[in-house]
Amino acid sequence: MNAPDRYERFVVPEGTKKVSYERDTKIVNAASFTVEREDHTIGNILRMQLHRDPNVLFAGYKLPHPLQYKIIVRIQTTSQSSPTQAYSQAIDDLDKELDCLKKGFEDEKTRFEEKLRQGY
Amino acid sequence: MSSSTKLSALDMPDVPMGHLPEHLHLQRTRVVCKADAPIHTEGIQYSGAYASTGVDISMGPNKFCKNFKIEVVRLTEDEIEFDMVGIDASLANAFRRILIAEVPTMAIEKVLMVNNTSVIADEVLAHRLGLVPLNADPRLFEYLSENDTPNERNTIVYKMEVSCKKGGSRVTVKSDQLKWLPNGSELQMTTYDSSAKAKSYTSFSCSQDSLPEFSKKPLGVRFDDIILAKLGPGQVIELEAHAVKGMGKVHAKWSPVATAWYRMLPEVVLLKEVKGDDAEKLVKKCPVGVFDIEDLGNGEKKAAVANSRACTLCRECVRGVNEELVELRRVKDHFIFTIESTGAFSPEELFIKAVKILEEKCDRVISELS
Repeated sequence: MNAPDRYERFVVPEGTKKVSYERDTKIVNAASFTVEREDHTIGNILRMQLHRDPNVLFAGYKLPHPLQYKIIVRIQTTSQSSPTQAYSQAIDDLDKELDCLKKGFEDEKTRFEEKLRQGY
Repeated sequence: MSSSTKLSALDMPDVPMGHLPEHLHLQRTRVVCKADAPIHTEGIQYSGAYASTGVDISMGPNKFCKNFKIEVVRLTEDEIEFDMVGIDASLANAFRRILIAEVPTMAIEKVLMVNNTSVIADEVLAHRLGLVPLNADPRLFEYLSENDTPNERNTIVYKMEVSCKKGGSRVTVKSDQLKWLPNGSELQMTTYDSSAKAKSYTSFSCSQDSLPEFSKKPLGVRFDDIILAKLGPGQVIELEAHAVKGMGKVHAKWSPVATAWYRMLPEVVLLKEVKGDDAEKLVKKCPVGVFDIEDLGNGEKKAAVANSRACTLCRECVRGVNEELVELRRVKDHFIFTIESTGAFSPEELFIKAVKILEEKCDRVISELS
């Protein structure tokens, strides 16, 4: 009865921004990114990629409530980098890795189909 | 006794430099499944985690591309099984989640009941119709939102008219009774304005089978033998169903996979030599045939691991034994994916679509950062 509509899980309403940024007032080089209408699918990947960055001291994500469809990603970096830089770098790296993955899968698929055809 | 030079522990001749010592490599790359619970399950991503041993485990996109491997094991019309080596668990889980919930498909959403005198209630029949997999390619259709009018670009219309004759035997209504109407809805909407022309529920500007995409493959149901209802003598079902594009996130009927799952590659290791009768007992315990007997000559038998990929982690080989003979491990970065499609897409197309959707998600998350 009180549950929100299911399309709210991915439709960003008018007026709210998809990603908003909040600097942490008490700790230097730390910030929280609130991503609307996303869930563990992108949150866990982003967290894993941020952990690979040597300049990142802290990276974590959480869903504050399962019925509020947003994630909060908290990043703290050394003074050599900034949270926005680490975030952009992580997404760039992810894009490159996904490109490589897609190409690898398509190559393997054509190779397997060739093998099947020759096997007959 | 004092030594004149101070030797660091790392310079000792038996400590391997440049790569991790055995036990740390095991902790980093394998999940060890003990009899009660698995250990070493966390993924160690930080490049400086083993800095004190002088090993750098950093992983940039170039190194990822070099180490990454895919191998297709089985490919049929409905199912694909393939191995991905070199990715992290979060990526594997993201693909599974996207395959189940975020690849769009077509499914019946609105059912207009003209006559239903069967024992199946209207809403139950409509629910069953929604779950029937359709043979339509969702890439050729657009989403239908509340303000749009249904037209040939965003709706598929089906009709079902079945009746059971009085005095005849019972009729089973199967999904092949759903007939595609390429010209749109045939039902008239009731208007209270008698001078206006009667409108139908959909406004198709041209027939769908005149469009080139649909002439090759008529839009029907994927499986003809799904039982939808059963009719007794004198009962009739007459309805019209409209199918639209949607995602599994909104309702599971729009999920393109029967299911999609992954498991980590099993690695079964014998810690001790198991000979003779103990070997026979061990081979018998495993229900999937992971172990096998190796003849050593002069009547001696030894147990060996024949097919560790088949291990289902039933833990029969480690249950109730006093000493540990077998160690069950999982390789943390080797995933065996299985995707079973319901028919709208072929399974390999599904995976490529899932990768594209993940790329779009990443782009949206970064581009909207002001």
